[in-house]
Amino acid sequence: MAKILAIEDDATTGKEIVAELAQSGFETEWVADGREGLDRALSGDFAAVILDRLLPGVDGLAIVTALRAEGIDIPVLMISALSDVDERIRGLRAGGDDYMTKPFASEELAARLEVLLRRRSAAPRSTLTVGDLELDLFSRAAHRAGAEIRLMPTEFKLLEFMMRNSGQVLTRTMIFEAIWGYHFDPGTNLIDVHLGRMRRKIDRPGLAPMIHTIRGAGYEIRAPE
Amino acid sequence: MRPSELWRTTPFRLTMMYGAVFAVAVLALMGSIYQQTAGYLTRQIDGIVVSEVRSLTLGGAEHLPERVTQAVAADTRRIEYYGLFSAEGVWIGGNVHSLPPALPIDGVPRAIRTPNLQPGSRGLAERMPWGEILFVGHDALVLTELRTIIVRALAFSGGLALVLGAAAAAVLSLRPLRRIDRLREASRAALQGEVGVRLPVSRRRDEIDMLAGVANAMMDESERLLWEVKSVGENVAHDLRTPLNRLRALLYRVSQETKLAGPEREMVDRALAETDELLTRFRALQRIGEIERRDRIAFFEPMRLQSVLEHVVELHEPSAEDRGVDLATDIAQDAPEVRADPTLLFEAVSNLVDNALKFTPRGGQVRVRLTVRPEGPRIEVADNGPGVPEAERDAVLHRFYRVERTRTEPGSGLGLSIVTAIARLHHFTLALEDAKPGLRVALNCWPRGVEA
Repeated sequence: MAKILAIEDDATTGKEIVAELAQSGFETEWVADGREGLDRALSGDFAAVILDRLLPGVDGLAIVTALRAEGIDIPVLMISALSDVDERIRGLRAGGDDYMTKPFASEELAARLEVLLRRRSAAPRSTLTVGDLELDLFSRAAHRAGAEIRLMPTEFKLLEFMMRNSGQVLTRTMIFEAIWGYHFDPGTNLIDVHLGRMRRKIDRPGLAPMIHTIRGAGYEIRAPE
Repeated sequence: MRPSELWRTTPFRLTMMYGAVFAVAVLALMGSIYQQTAGYLTRQIDGIVVSEVRSLTLGGAEHLPERVTQAVAADTRRIEYYGLFSAEGVWIGGNVHSLPPALPIDGVPRAIRTPNLQPGSRGLAERMPWGEILFVGHDALVLTELRTIIVRALAFSGGLALVLGAAAAAVLSLRPLRRIDRLREASRAALQGEVGVRLPVSRRRDEIDMLAGVANAMMDESERLLWEVKSVGENVAHDLRTPLNRLRALLYRVSQETKLAGPEREMVDRALAETDELLTRFRALQRIGEIERRDRIAFFEPMRLQSVLEHVVELHEPSAEDRGVDLATDIAQDAPEVRADPTLLFEAVSNLVDNALKFTPRGGQVRVRLTVRPEGPRIEVADNGPGVPEAERDAVLHRFYRVERTRTEPGSGLGLSIVTAIARLHHFTLALEDAKPGLRVALNCWPRGVEA
């Protein structure tokens, strides 16, 4: 299983990250110091880095910039107490792949990390397949069990995002950010309604359900067993 | 500045008061000069009259009538009066044909009040040792002239003082008035909630500056308190979110890892939902703080409101359909661009639509409109739900306020507060109106103050 590097100066948060990721099956190395963290990240032993934006000594932004300057392309998930959009943009511009604000629900951290790892390892494909569900990325047509499913542009984006991350819990926030590109709280209900619509199109009566609601977390698409 | 304000200023009133005092002083001065001069002239005239009598009687009774006639002839200026009367008072000679009635015949000069002689004239009547009565008078023309001069001088200088005083008062008042206008402008901005506004203080350190200084100190203090209250709210939200997240993580683990079933399972799930609800509110509180604190002019860009509205409607369309509410749009495609932060405006309109959908009963309609006003574009979100009574409209913009009958709806109750914060950041105004029936919330996308 992939090894994760967490650079976080706050001991409580650091330990929580290690514990939570262990539950999700990740082995995590926690480093409190920014310089040491940068050295470890440069070693190439890790599949992804969780990086605190504000660190004593070396700033989190400087670490991402240094990593990218060295040509190291591992996914970097930035976490920060600064939730301002400006900060998010700055973090992503410096080379971060995703940005979370503290405090966060720990399963959200794991879920985001999974998505990042998946994104890096994904080979370019023209068709996504989950079970008997197929999505053609060029013609934007979806088929399940041979029957065509008509998709609106937003629905296509949603289905693509879910299928690329099949078998993976996606939180409502992640879905909203990925599909609509905004970073505010749209209200849980709103995303649920969109997922409900998607479910009615994919999981027609008589077919085994593929879109699953994960209690207290979000949604997941997976092939029926 | 209105003209009526001019005469109410302190400098104007002070100047006019000084002017009045000055006028009284001039009056007193002129009066005194007249009094003194008139007294002196009277004494001179009296002297002239007495010496005239002496010179006329020098030649004795024999030459008197002749001398009187000569004197009348010699008085080319016609300012002397002469009259010679017999002991019985019958006219003998001179240019006065009857003795002034009330004049005692005692040789003392007095003022003469006879209709045919100039008023104010001086004269005396004296009985000669041989019985005849001689009257000699002197015209008061000099005195009359003097009075005319003084009155004219008074009228001229008084009028001039009045006009000059009024002009000076107006000029003196204009400057303070202009300063007051600037103070008023600044205060108005501060009243409208603009943060960081201070009253202008000049280098003169005069009484207006002193007052402005006091007002500025008060504004400093209230702003500091405001920040404190805000940061307390935000810090509380932030500090509570951490343990809440841990609590949520625990509950989540319980629901994931234990094989709960039935009512226990339901209770854990409810606890999880309640925790999420709490977290939502704290996030919203922090979000408001974030928006209010932000100086995001750098993120403002010219943008089309049309696409924002279309995307918001697209986002909420399924939700409207689920609720059985018709979500209609009426978007003016010719609406001009505005300088704004597109993501924040999306958030604002999304909140408005979310609110409207929540408060509209099944079968109702929510209308999203973009109209063009002379001042700029205007976004309207109207529902035909129960609406908000006029008395409550201000209150719904306050944090956590929820109209009584909507308490059962999920949500932070902070949606409109977020919209208000976004509007304020853009210097836009938010208006709650009666949609008859229902509520219409309008976001006027032009800088506040243009319509004033």
